Amino acid sequence: MRLPRMLALGAVGLVLLSACSLGGGSKPTIKIGSVSFYEAKIMAEIYAQDLEANGYTVDRTGIGLGDRSVVAPAIESGQIDLQPEYIGSRISYYKGTPTGDAAANLTALQGLVSAKGLTVLNYTPAVDTNAFVVRPDTATQYHLTNLSDTTAVQSQLKWGLATDCATNPLCGAPGGALQAQYGLTAQTIAGATLLSACDTPMADALKAGTIDVGELCSTQPDIAVNGWDVLNDDKHSQPADNISPIVRNDYLAKVDQASFEKLLNDVSAKMDTATLTSLNKQVAVDHADVAVVAKAWLQANGFLPKSS
Amino acid sequence: MNIVTQTATWLSDPIHWSGPNGIPVRLFEHVIISGVSLVIALVIALPIGLYIGHTGRHTNFAVNSANLWRALPSLAVIAIVLPLTTALDPQLGFKVYPTVLAMVVLAVPPILVNAYAGLAGVDRDILEAARGQGMSAPQILGRVELPLAVPVIATGIRSATIQVVATATLGAVFGFGGLGRYLVDGISQNDTGQIMGGVVLVAVLVVIAELLIALIQRALTPRGLLLATTTSAAQSSI
Repeated sequence: MRLPRMLALGAVGLVLLSACSLGGGSKPTIKIGSVSFYEAKIMAEIYAQDLEANGYTVDRTGIGLGDRSVVAPAIESGQIDLQPEYIGSRISYYKGTPTGDAAANLTALQGLVSAKGLTVLNYTPAVDTNAFVVRPDTATQYHLTNLSDTTAVQSQLKWGLATDCATNPLCGAPGGALQAQYGLTAQTIAGATLLSACDTPMADALKAGTIDVGELCSTQPDIAVNGWDVLNDDKHSQPADNISPIVRNDYLAKVDQASFEKLLNDVSAKMDTATLTSLNKQVAVDHADVAVVAKAWLQANGFLPKSS
Repeated sequence: MNIVTQTATWLSDPIHWSGPNGIPVRLFEHVIISGVSLVIALVIALPIGLYIGHTGRHTNFAVNSANLWRALPSLAVIAIVLPLTTALDPQLGFKVYPTVLAMVVLAVPPILVNAYAGLAGVDRDILEAARGQGMSAPQILGRVELPLAVPVIATGIRSATIQVVATATLGAVFGFGGLGRYLVDGISQNDTGQIMGGVVLVAVLVVIAELLIALIQRALTPRGLLLATTTSAAQSSI
C-alpha cells in the first residue's frame, strides 16, 4: 500500500510542477478568438498550435465567437488577446476604404487600431477576396468572362449579394464598386437576393438556380467543387483581403515581443491562396476536424515535429 | 449617440420609408408571411385540436406529438427543408417556403394544444345538461363547447401569433425580405440604429396583432363568460 501511495503523491507533485512552469514567466496564457467562418477558425487554430508548440498556453474559448461585430469589440475590450483578421474588411468595419494594395492596407489598418491598443502583424500571401461567381451555363449563355460583361445583361441575371452590400463601398453602396465601376443600377442591387457572403446559403442558392451571380469568397471550396466560374474583377474594385493576426499591445508587453511576432510572422508567410483554399476544402467539404487539418499543415511546413 | 437616438434617427429617416427595402414593403412582406403561416397552422391545428378535445380520443398521441414539434428549432426546420423545397422551385422554394414551413411548425403546437385544452376544460355537467335538453353532438360542439372554450383557444392563437411574427425574421437569413432584413443586414453592416429600428417594428407589429386577436376574442366570447375571461386566460398559460 505504501509504495503506490508514494507514487501517486509524486505524480501529483509532478503535475503541479509542470503546471507552474507553463503558466508563469514570460509566456502567459493567450486568449485566441476568431469569427465563426471556418477559414478564420483554421487560421486561429494554426496560430494556436504554433504558439503551443513554443511553450505558450492557449485559451481557445473565443474561436468562432461570432461576426466581426462581435469579435472586434471582444479584442478591443480584452476578452481575447489575438485574432486572425482580413485586413481589408477590418478597414471597412472602421468605415475606412481599403485598396487593392495589401501593404497599404496593413499600414492603414495599423493607423486605425493603434489608438485601440492593438498591433497588426504581417499578413499572409493568401488573399481571400470577394469573388463574383457564375455557373458555367450562365457564363456561356451571356458570354461572361469579366465582371464588366455583366453590365449589359444585368437585368436578365438574378443577383445574390452580401447582406451588407447596400452600404458597403466595395459592393453596392451608391458610388461604390458595383455601381461606379461596373455600372450596376441601384434597381439591380435593390432587387438582389441578400445572403451572407462566403457562406453555405449563398452557394446553395447559386447551385439551385435561385441566383445566377453569387458573391462568394475567392478561397471558398464550393467554387472548385461545383466547377463554377469566377468572373474576373477587371476594374480591380475588390480590396486585398490578406489575413493578419491582430494582437493586443498589453499582451505583447508581457512576452518577448520579437520572438512572439517572429513565430506568427513565419507561419503567415507560408500561407498562400492555393494552400488556404485546399485547407478550406478539407474542412468544409470533406468535414475534417479543424485541429487535425491545422496540425497536418504545421507539420508539413516544419513548424511542428512530424508524428511517427 | 446612444442607442435610443440611433434608433429614432434610423426610424425617422424618410429614406427608410420608401423603395424596395423601405419599411412599408418590408412590413407588408412580414405581415403576409406571418399571416399565411398562421392560416395554414390554423387549418391544420384547429380541427385536430377540436376533434381530440371533443371526443377525448387520441389525446395523448396528439398532444405529445404536437409538443414534440416545439422542440424543433425554427432555424433547423428551415435548414432541413431547404434542399427539398429548392428542388421543387428554385425561387420561392429557397426564399419563401422553408420559412413558411418553419413558422407552421412553430404555430401548430400552441393552437392545437389550447384547442384541445379549451374543449376538455368545459364542465362535464354543462355537457350533460345540454344533452339532457336534447341537443345533438354538433349542436353541443357549436353552441356549448366552442363558445365556452373561446378564451383558451384564442390564447393559443395569440401565443402562436407572437411567436410567428417574432420568428419570421429568420427568413432574412435565407434571402426572404420582411422585417428580419433590418436585423440581419443591420448586424452585418454594424448599424445599431437599423437593428434596433427593426426590433421596434417587430415589437409594434406583435402588439398590434395581439390587440386584433384580443378584439376578435372579445367579440366571440359569450357575454356571461367575459367576467371570467381573466381567470381562464391565466389557467390556459399552463
